[in-house]
Amino acid sequence: MAIYTVGRRRVIVGLLLTAALLLTLDLRGNAVLDTVRDGFSRAMSPVERAADVVTNPVQRGWNSYNNYDDLERENQALRDQLDRQRGTQAAAEASIIDYNLLLALNNLPSLTGIPTAKAQVVGGATNNIDQIVEINKGTNDGIRQGMAVVNQAGLIGKITQANATTSKVMLVTDPRYSIAVEILAGTGETSSLDDLETSNTTPSGNTEEEIDQIILDAVESDNDDAVEDGADAETDDGDIDGETNDGETDDGEPADETPADVFANDIDLPQAGDLPDPGVVTPETTTTTLPPAVIPGEDAPPVTDPDGNPIETTTTTTTIVDLEPEQLEKEFGEMQGRGAGQLPQIRFLQDIPSLAVLEVGDLVETAGPSESLAPPNIPVGRVINRADRPGVAGPLLEIELYADLDKLNFVRVVLFRPLSEAGE
Amino acid sequence: MLAAIVRSSLIRLVPVGMVMLALQRTVFAEIEVSGVIVQVVLALAAAAGAAGGSERGAMAGFTLGVMFDLVEGTPIGSTAIAFTLAGVVAGLLALIAADPQWWLSAIFVGLGAAVGEAMLPVVRIFIGEEDPWPPQMVKVVAIVTVAATVLSPLLVPLGRWCLRIRGPEWKAPADLPSV
Repeated sequence: MAIYTVGRRRVIVGLLLTAALLLTLDLRGNAVLDTVRDGFSRAMSPVERAADVVTNPVQRGWNSYNNYDDLERENQALRDQLDRQRGTQAAAEASIIDYNLLLALNNLPSLTGIPTAKAQVVGGATNNIDQIVEINKGTNDGIRQGMAVVNQAGLIGKITQANATTSKVMLVTDPRYSIAVEILAGTGETSSLDDLETSNTTPSGNTEEEIDQIILDAVESDNDDAVEDGADAETDDGDIDGETNDGETDDGEPADETPADVFANDIDLPQAGDLPDPGVVTPETTTTTLPPAVIPGEDAPPVTDPDGNPIETTTTTTTIVDLEPEQLEKEFGEMQGRGAGQLPQIRFLQDIPSLAVLEVGDLVETAGPSESLAPPNIPVGRVINRADRPGVAGPLLEIELYADLDKLNFVRVVLFRPLSEAGE
Repeated sequence: MLAAIVRSSLIRLVPVGMVMLALQRTVFAEIEVSGVIVQVVLALAAAAGAAGGSERGAMAGFTLGVMFDLVEGTPIGSTAIAFTLAGVVAGLLALIAADPQWWLSAIFVGLGAAVGEAMLPVVRIFIGEEDPWPPQMVKVVAIVTVAATVLSPLLVPLGRWCLRIRGPEWKAPADLPSV
């Protein structure tokens, strides 16, 4: 043991104690250490850029070798996904606009009113424990510690360290990450929302087939009346057209009344200023030419105005979702990351069937209570697993995140500070 | 004092450590082996220990660990403790052989890296983190160990240069001229 002397052991112990002292100081918060950290990050910046440039061919070569098959499969899957999502995008955008208008109408806070800072991920996790990435924006762009970071898909993490030109983002999968979330119960697998089939109906609730039948009945009735009137007129006056000289029929109705007029009288058309029924989502006004009513065995009578022009009627096609709007119950819990490759979990939940039944597929958003660092309603993901626990522990939910944390590029930092911090 | 700093190993170790850190944060962060990030800075700390013994390995590990903490944003000292232990363990090689073969150095570099990687979550537990163990910890340690072993033929000479260690100048008795 001549080489491993007492003096050398002292050096080793001294170094370990120094590390422990630094650790204690840093955990308690030390301005000097923060300054040193900031300065060292600045000093490292050009070295990292140079290393990135020099090793870029190596990185690309490795990625080409390692990820080519995955990229090809992913490209194919994404094309399919894109096709599916194109169909729902327009409806979703309209819903979001309506939602934001409603929030603004009721003076409720919404995400649209919160500024964001665009940034790009410039560095990934460099060890196998932390789930931290680095972005190329910092305090110079208004970014502060604690701010939520999102991408186009949803929440991805929060700022844990903000330097002048760079910031560290702790991803939601990091075991140290936790945030208050709300689960929209009733949006999962057994949701009645999934079964909704919008049907085009008129405000009266009649379908197109029913409207055709009404027109048909009206035409038949009018023809019958005309025949009866003609018979009466022939009997009374010898005039087979059933019209009196003043242009009115015997019962005093206008003589030039058309089937369209009959139709209009039977249908309760909406008036300007009428409020839509509950559940009405998208009213669309279309102008159509009234289809000719066809009587079996007879030629279709032309539906024209007195000048012989085809009559155009304005009908309102309204998409009725449900007369009783779906009431979504919310349950609040705490989402916590569990490390790379592990799904985040939501804890502290109560599963009370009379209030909210949590199930696979339910949507998860940030809850944003008054002291939360993230504003409410940032989409997070969907419940993918549910584990019931005995006693009063409540269920444990696993979340499939919307955002793909393995392929982060451009992100947005939500420049939101809760009132509790903004007042400081 | 300035002369002492210039003569010390830090004057070489710090810039080399910065370059290695930059490589760690760029190319080695990108190149994952079975989802595990190869820890090249940790391997350098262990290589310095294998080249210079436990004391120098501890100093190199401490320096590189503090640099790692500074740039990564992890609590300063948490990585330094693990890297210091990595250097110490790799430096135990000096107890076995004064002029070890390259493969013996590689084994000890791997051992040191394994201890350092395993100590990282242990230190995190002591500072109050809940469940810092990465999933498949055994796989992580194994891949980091193998990677450090493979890189050791490059890193041991680099560590030796950083610590200003000259090769042994004595000659074996068989090489001495006969009297």
